[in-house]
Amino acid sequence: MYDALALATLLATGALAVLGLVLTALNRPPGPEFKIAVGVVVALLAVQAAIGAVRAFGVTLPEQSTFLIYLAVSVCVLPIATQFAYAEPTRWGGTVVAVGAVATLVAVLRLQGLWVPGG
Amino acid sequence: MAEAPGRKARATSTGAGRILVAVYGIFALSATARAAVQIAGKFSNAPLAYLLSALAGVVYILATVGLASTRPWARPLAWTAVLFELTGVLVVGTLTVLDAGDFPDDTVWSFYGRGYGFIPLVLPLVGLWWLHRTRAR
Repeated sequence: MYDALALATLLATGALAVLGLVLTALNRPPGPEFKIAVGVVVALLAVQAAIGAVRAFGVTLPEQSTFLIYLAVSVCVLPIATQFAYAEPTRWGGTVVAVGAVATLVAVLRLQGLWVPGG
Repeated sequence: MAEAPGRKARATSTGAGRILVAVYGIFALSATARAAVQIAGKFSNAPLAYLLSALAGVVYILATVGLASTRPWARPLAWTAVLFELTGVLVVGTLTVLDAGDFPDDTVWSFYGRGYGFIPLVLPLVGLWWLHRTRAR
């Protein structure tokens, strides 16, 4: 799983977290542009999850179910956090999305650690 | 009317409080999922640790609901859950530091939440501070 896509999702979630914190620092509620950025990151994560799930069924992983749960979590957290952030448009919305982005980043890192084919 | 300029309790889930609710929500999800995997897959390995994981998950869920809701029962629920959480992380953290042998497998609260960047130790303190800050006075 250590490939270009994983690196891309790590960088994307990291950048999203920074962007969210910057919005809070600038005292601006997240707008439609930020929502597009979240969408792009989630799309990237969804592609990674689809590929990961297909590949996970073709190999033996020591913790297969944990791996699949982390895959699902990596896709679901950001949309939920974004929904919650936009439900109350204040400056804190950016940080709420940033929290979701960091959690997603951690999930992707855990996925790397769990990807031990044949282990 | 009383003369005191009393102020009603503020909702815990608005403004910066939403960050707290988000972090609690993520911990509720991760602790519960972790416990579910542990109990479903290898319960006999470390029953105590896994039951503790499940308990932690339930406590995080209750704290999330308590902080997110504005219903009359929400604030007492949040106080109880967050205090329980603080007690849990301190007791389990201390036990694991003194004698790791009793906990053959990690829980969210083992070693004061080291596996989770010590967030489990800081989170209840922030939660108590926020509940205190938004209280009626």
